[in-house]
Amino acid sequence: MGKGGARPWWRTALSCMRFLATSFVVNVQSALEYRTNFLIQVFGMALNNAAFAAFWAVLLSRTGSVGGYVFTDVMFIWAIVPAAFGLAHALAGNIRSIGQIVQRGELDVYLLQPRDVWLNLITSRTVVSAWGDFLYGFLVIALLPGLSPGRFALFCAMTLTGAAILVAAFSAAESLVFFMGDSSSASGAFTEFLLSFSLYPETVFDRGMRWVFYTIVPSGFVAFVPLAAYKALEWRALALLVPASLAYTAASYALFRLGLRRYESGNQVGTRS
Amino acid sequence: MSPLALVLRKYLVAAFVSLRNKAAYPGNLLGSLLSYAIFVFVFSRIWGTIYSGRAPIAGYDGRMAIWYFIIAEVTAFGFGRFFISLAQDMKSGQVAYLLSRPYDFVLYHYADRMGAAIPEAAVLLALGLSMGATFAGPVPLASIAQAFFLLLSLLLAGSIQFLLQFSLAMTAFWVEENTAFFWIYQKLSLVVGTLVPLEFLPAIAQRLAWFTPFPSIAYAPARIAVAYTPHEALRLAGLQAAWLLASALLCKAVFALGRSRLTVQGG
Amino acid sequence: MAVISARGLGKTFRTKVKAEGFAASVRGLVRPVWRSIEAVRGIDLEVEEGEVLAFLGPNEAGKSTTIKMLTGILRPSLGSATVLGLDPSRDRVALARSIAAVFGQRSQLWFHLPPSDSFRLLGAVYEIDGRELVRRQGELVERFGIGDYMDVPVRKLSLGERVRCEFAASLLHAPRIIFLDEPTIGMDVVAKREIRGLLEEVNKRDRVTIFLTSHDIGDIEKVCKRAIIIHHGSIIVDESMKSLKHRAMSRKIVGVKYAAPARPDIPGLEPIKRTQDAVRYEVDTGRHRIEEVLRFLVAAGEVLDITVEDEPLENIIAGIFEGEDRGASLAAAGRAAAGTRTEAAPPPARDEGREA
Repeated sequence: MGKGGARPWWRTALSCMRFLATSFVVNVQSALEYRTNFLIQVFGMALNNAAFAAFWAVLLSRTGSVGGYVFTDVMFIWAIVPAAFGLAHALAGNIRSIGQIVQRGELDVYLLQPRDVWLNLITSRTVVSAWGDFLYGFLVIALLPGLSPGRFALFCAMTLTGAAILVAAFSAAESLVFFMGDSSSASGAFTEFLLSFSLYPETVFDRGMRWVFYTIVPSGFVAFVPLAAYKALEWRALALLVPASLAYTAASYALFRLGLRRYESGNQVGTRS
Repeated sequence: MSPLALVLRKYLVAAFVSLRNKAAYPGNLLGSLLSYAIFVFVFSRIWGTIYSGRAPIAGYDGRMAIWYFIIAEVTAFGFGRFFISLAQDMKSGQVAYLLSRPYDFVLYHYADRMGAAIPEAAVLLALGLSMGATFAGPVPLASIAQAFFLLLSLLLAGSIQFLLQFSLAMTAFWVEENTAFFWIYQKLSLVVGTLVPLEFLPAIAQRLAWFTPFPSIAYAPARIAVAYTPHEALRLAGLQAAWLLASALLCKAVFALGRSRLTVQGG
Repeated sequence: MAVISARGLGKTFRTKVKAEGFAASVRGLVRPVWRSIEAVRGIDLEVEEGEVLAFLGPNEAGKSTTIKMLTGILRPSLGSATVLGLDPSRDRVALARSIAAVFGQRSQLWFHLPPSDSFRLLGAVYEIDGRELVRRQGELVERFGIGDYMDVPVRKLSLGERVRCEFAASLLHAPRIIFLDEPTIGMDVVAKREIRGLLEEVNKRDRVTIFLTSHDIGDIEKVCKRAIIIHHGSIIVDESMKSLKHRAMSRKIVGVKYAAPARPDIPGLEPIKRTQDAVRYEVDTGRHRIEEVLRFLVAAGEVLDITVEDEPLENIIAGIFEGEDRGASLAAAGRAAAGTRTEAAPPPARDEGREA
């Protein structure tokens, strides 16, 4: 009993890690209860991504390059974005359900537990199809020519920072639910923007609008900076990406906490699944 | 009222009710308009970049490529998502209840879904035309005949989309999880003639494509919009009509087979 | 020692009014209409350690909102609350370690997994270390007799089995207060009895304070020692279960069946039901002595059977709600007795146009 503030910070951190690990294992177990579904989802994602790979192969065989991007460049962003997107939804499967959960008053369950609400909420599910995205990203990077242990390590590190930025961005869009009541259209639009702008060459867009990729729709930090860093095997990129991911996460967390003060619960009944 | 008018009326009413129902949730339409707009914007930039200072590719210049994409995506966004709700109806047991009603099962669903989809596609088309006018230059419609063929071709494309997706959805009579079939269908139609003009595909892929319904779904209306000749328009519309008939027969057959299975199992 | 106390606790919600139709929906996007609802209007409340309290009221009375403010889910818009010496909205995490909440059908067990997995996760959530977790879980498994279901996915358990696991799970971190919001909603008689038994046991053995809201009068009669009735967001009755029952006992339902057709006549009392050979009276024992009534009945003919029942508690409570709605004197008396604020309440909802 007593207040948590008296404990050394490392004990709190340790307990938090233990909780997250247990939570993750339980989520995966729950998802694996539906193996067929899992396989179908993984297949569907791989199929979707393969369709776009086919499109780029067809297009680039005609044009050679698009805005300076050759086939391997496009495939790199089609590796890092699905990998980061997949990791984000595998570890924090509830990020794009925050709005729905809040609207249905299902946040109560998390508010009743002695844990940070945001962390507890977003990590309490794993999205099965995200595993497909994650695996697909690594499959593509494995098939790309020029892979070395150093590049692979850099790719993994940038997948982590990318995932953190995506979690922060999606969570921020979903947190609008506290202020708007129904944020589903706004958040859906944001997801469209983020994915659409991350999966195509940055150079096709006017210079005048590229600043967006380094602010509201952080495609630049998820896809384009990693592409340049990967090609040049430039580890110093992490000196930009790590602080950026921390800043996005902190801002998004603050927005959620601000919104939480306005939470109004609800009267729905339901079970956790 | 004549007996035929009575029969037709129920499908018209179904279509209107469905439209009204859809109109009650403008948010959903906004979402689909936005996705379409982003997609068109991104691809207009891609084509713009590709064609800056380059000769036509496979007979398409930059303006044609953008207009092609705009029209092809109308069939993908306006008529591309019937499967999801149809499959849901199949799985939820809604079917058994609908079977007892005095109407043609396929035709009723056609009226119901198209009633909502056609106006939505019209809004998408209007948005596409205005975006195209901004990014690619004047609307490529030169004559009333071309406009007529474009609308006819879009309507045929939408109908084929519906019938094929309904056939796929009805595989729920046999297999529990049939979403994967739809995905394959959806991605094939995306690659075959939606994201890039059919003529961009490698020669062998093009030849194979003509044996599939996919050119009738996206290529036909898009081609009529960007490279209209009366002769080709007539040929494409004829091909679409043939595929419409084929997919209607397929749909009827799948329904008949599935229904007999339902009866054998005792509902 | 008071484990829960509230001073002028209140909550006002603001919701968007949704209109039907396309045009109205579009208008709603541009210029939404807001409506504010005063769910709880400044209530005062004290609960002692080890009490079993029934928190009653019709739908929308403010029961759930009050519980949610006391557990830290909702921020009060008025007044303050102290639970176990903590401010629920400020010290939510610390408070969560020592309370539990069971919210109707909202489960804390993972639906697709066996309870043992949920227990493991809850152990991590509440920071119970490995050995302690094994010990506590073993104890609860034995106490609730759930050993056989611990490894069966929750979706395959019967409602009664699930309820027992649910209860055991909510006791895993040894809470000092349990809040229950409609714990028996949707349950059959057996499962309901199960819950009530468990509640009594937990209260007696662990001296856990129980704060229960329910529609089900059975829950309350069987388990609770004190009842608070809330209506339109204000407390209208706060008294012991005994005195509430006293109100019930001052009204008796007397029924008689005669061997042959009979027509008893009691001065000043009309039967509520009469057939040729049977009769039923509702007797207010403040006005008619029961002994006297019986004498009249027996005198009227050869009695085959006679029953004297208390008026069901459900009727009494319904009477209080109705009385409150009509502004009747009973409610006013109840309010005065409860010592709650009695100023004229504003209407429950008002519309106000407001820009987004």
